[in-house]
Amino acid sequence: MKVSLFVTCLIDIFQTDVGLDTMELLERLGCEVDFPEKQTCCGQPAYNSGYVDKAKESMKHMINVFENADYVVTPSGSCGTMFREYPHIFKGDPVWEDRAKRLADKTYELTQFIVDVLGVEDVGAKLNATATYHTSCHMTRLLGVTEAPMKLLSNVAGLEMKSLPHNYNCCGFGGTFSVKMTAISEQMVDEKVQSVEETGADILIGADCGCLMNIGGRIDRQGKPIKVMHIASVLNSR
Amino acid sequence: MAMKIGNKPFKERVSDGIDDQFMRGAVSSAQGRFRSGRLNAAEELGNWEDWRKLGEEIRSHTIENLDFYLEQLSENVIKRGGHVFFAETAEEANDYITNVVKQKNGKKVVKSKSMVTEEINMNEALEKAGCEVIESDLGEWILQVDDHDPPSHIVTPALHKNKEQIRDVFRDKLGYDKTEKPEELALFAREKLREEFLQADIGITGCNFAIAESGTISLVTNEGNARMVTTIPKTQITVMGMERIVPTWEEMEVLVSLLTRAAVGQKLTSYITGLTGPKQEGEVDGPEEFHLVIVDNGRSKILGTAFQSILHCIRCAACINVCPVYRHVGGHSYGSIYPGPVGAVLSPLLGGYDEFKELPYASTLCAACTEACPVKIPLHEHLLRHRQEIVEKEGKAPVFENLSMKAFSLGTASPAMYNIGSKLAPTALGAFAKDDKISDGPGPLKNWTEIRDFPAPKKDRFRDLYKKRKKERGE
Amino acid sequence: MMAIGQAHNRDSFLNNLAKNLGRERHYQVEKPNWNHNPQWEVLKDASQDELVEVLKKQCKLIHTEVHETNSSDLLPLIQQLVKESGGKSVVSWDDPRFSEFGLSGLSDELGREQVAVHVWDRNGGEENLSFSATADIGITFSDATLAESGTVVLYSDIGKGRAVSLLPVVYFAIIPKSTIVPRMTQVARDMHRKVENEELVPSCVNFISGPSNSADIEMNLIVGVHGPVKATYIIVEDK
Repeated sequence: MKVSLFVTCLIDIFQTDVGLDTMELLERLGCEVDFPEKQTCCGQPAYNSGYVDKAKESMKHMINVFENADYVVTPSGSCGTMFREYPHIFKGDPVWEDRAKRLADKTYELTQFIVDVLGVEDVGAKLNATATYHTSCHMTRLLGVTEAPMKLLSNVAGLEMKSLPHNYNCCGFGGTFSVKMTAISEQMVDEKVQSVEETGADILIGADCGCLMNIGGRIDRQGKPIKVMHIASVLNSR
Repeated sequence: MAMKIGNKPFKERVSDGIDDQFMRGAVSSAQGRFRSGRLNAAEELGNWEDWRKLGEEIRSHTIENLDFYLEQLSENVIKRGGHVFFAETAEEANDYITNVVKQKNGKKVVKSKSMVTEEINMNEALEKAGCEVIESDLGEWILQVDDHDPPSHIVTPALHKNKEQIRDVFRDKLGYDKTEKPEELALFAREKLREEFLQADIGITGCNFAIAESGTISLVTNEGNARMVTTIPKTQITVMGMERIVPTWEEMEVLVSLLTRAAVGQKLTSYITGLTGPKQEGEVDGPEEFHLVIVDNGRSKILGTAFQSILHCIRCAACINVCPVYRHVGGHSYGSIYPGPVGAVLSPLLGGYDEFKELPYASTLCAACTEACPVKIPLHEHLLRHRQEIVEKEGKAPVFENLSMKAFSLGTASPAMYNIGSKLAPTALGAFAKDDKISDGPGPLKNWTEIRDFPAPKKDRFRDLYKKRKKERGE
Repeated sequence: MMAIGQAHNRDSFLNNLAKNLGRERHYQVEKPNWNHNPQWEVLKDASQDELVEVLKKQCKLIHTEVHETNSSDLLPLIQQLVKESGGKSVVSWDDPRFSEFGLSGLSDELGREQVAVHVWDRNGGEENLSFSATADIGITFSDATLAESGTVVLYSDIGKGRAVSLLPVVYFAIIPKSTIVPRMTQVARDMHRKVENEELVPSCVNFISGPSNSADIEMNLIVGVHGPVKATYIIVEDK
């Protein structure tokens, strides 16, 4: 199975390990993974701030980049959601709507791809720890990926998963919200960190780097001993 | 009180809200109960999604044909001897209402809960005309007695007050001499308000759903105050936002079911009343005269725009009850009588961007609101749409942000530019990094690093590592 | 004959709506058949006895006492309930069902216990209201009853004052078993049919589910704010 990796700008620049783990994991599961080098960013930061026309330029570029891919897989729930939004954004455009739809139809978030397309729920990973999982808002509510992550995590040998209280609460990232509305974001991330602490878990696992950087950044600032890992890295642990 | 609350700037309101520990505890606890109430009620029904879809169908069809249904409604009201006044503006509505009150020599008005009358500032207009106006919804009455403290939630307006505060308000303003026990406070309210009900000349209500086919207005309460207001006084005036209408009784019962479950997790509230015209010939109690005031006040401007579905709202507050931002800042932070997600969408539409431009940004677009809405209004999409209006159509974005976004899109639309930009990141930010972390960042990172650490960009980007890996594997 | 009321500013208002919707005024609209109709599934095949059980179960949740009896035992039951409540004044509807269900002796029997009974006087005026305002107990029959939500439905009419179920401290609803339907859906259809047949809908239709309550003070549920503080339902076996 040929898979094109959409690594996302955050991972490209700040969380390179996650990119490597994703790649290795997919290869381990029998995929041939390529990385279209011209990829940049899905356009979320500009789009979510209301700069739709400007964001469309990046979007068109990304549609071009992945035109020939069979499957587009991304280790980011929000970026996957963004690609799935493209047809809606280009609605009525005689040239781009169809192309956007073709891209949206073949785009999957990582765990969604492993469970729903590859049909795999046990990737043979091993990690001795207690952990809890953060359900990112866009991935859960907008992309509709609610079961796949836990299915995969429950099969990681040695990993004890604790349920995160009030997991439906947003962590307060929201892209530019985290810097535009810092006072409110702070309250939200503190509430989230508190929920994480209540589980007694060593590790917080998530599938969205934005959320993880937000919660992880706060945990680090507060000097708390909770490790933050992307699900790709957990699933690639042996 | 009009739609806008207070004059403090947004940042200050938010800060005040965050500092109000009691309010935040009260809101958090209330949200917990409302949320479970709604989810339990939905689960008990069993096919909540179908109910939501039906709700959406009904609201959509009705708003698309609003002129037809409002005409049908008005015809049926007047056939039953009621009077209908179509008010395009708040002033027109208040003038008509004040005239009716004057004609009747009204000195005392009792009101049941009505957001639209707050929006148009009706109480003030009546008071200016020498009429006493008494709120009968317990929460609204508490706020009224407390020198018109504004509501912080559209269903439980006094959510931000604790029982000690309420006891003090009753004691200082009304000579209450018992304890802060809710039963005692409520008994006091019952006695005081009953006197008012029995003496009032005029009853003014809002309208949960007007039924076009029979000219009926329906009122939904738990307390019974709407029934009191419409049984005892001789004249009844009902004020409705023009969109609060359904075609027939069959749609009314569906929407009431959605409302009571989504709002408070009840199958039905204690009292739902369908009132048609004044009392009939031969009936003893009920009003002798009935007036329906249908209010536009900016709603018509929303018709025909991409925001039209916000007019589907049935004012259940399910969105407010799940919003994490609302939980931390409270209703008053929104600066509008309509807080939370619905308020963040509606207030700029009715009140303009100058007053309310921060509201659409006070959201992470987590979509909990959209998920909760019983009639499937895409609230988070509307917030996004507002942002687009503010930035692209109104040109009201801050200059620096505009420029950064321009730079961002240039950078991401062109792989060459992206390459340069991302390659520079470690160098540009390197000076700020210590142990792979940035604790005090420049520019946009400054706000981030006020409360969080930020990872330092890696020396090699993923794409560089990918290239290396490819080379190593001889590909 | 009822006088027709007046509508003001209608055309300019509605023309503006049509304009904003980008079209001419609509004068004929066919309401579509909705694609989803879950409301008709609720308690769809329940028997009358099953509906009674559902009703009783719901009453527990809404702080409402419920009794079951038949016509011959109805009068003694009401006497007993009045006694238990300690009420000294009763107001009731002027409704033929009172005698149909064996309650024509109600005033006399209660009078014997020093309980004053006022039957809604269709030719009276204010006294009806003032009696109700201070009455301990209000008694009406239910015109329709909703099992799912524990709701009695009352249609106002001559002799059936609104205040009887509203102003007194305690409210008794006598529910003929045959009036029980699954939920509001059935009653709404009846109303809709009335309208289609050009019959008058009552000026006041009340859907009453238990006593009055509020959660406005620290989200504490307080029972009995403006309406009755206690509600009792009496289900009567009828034809």
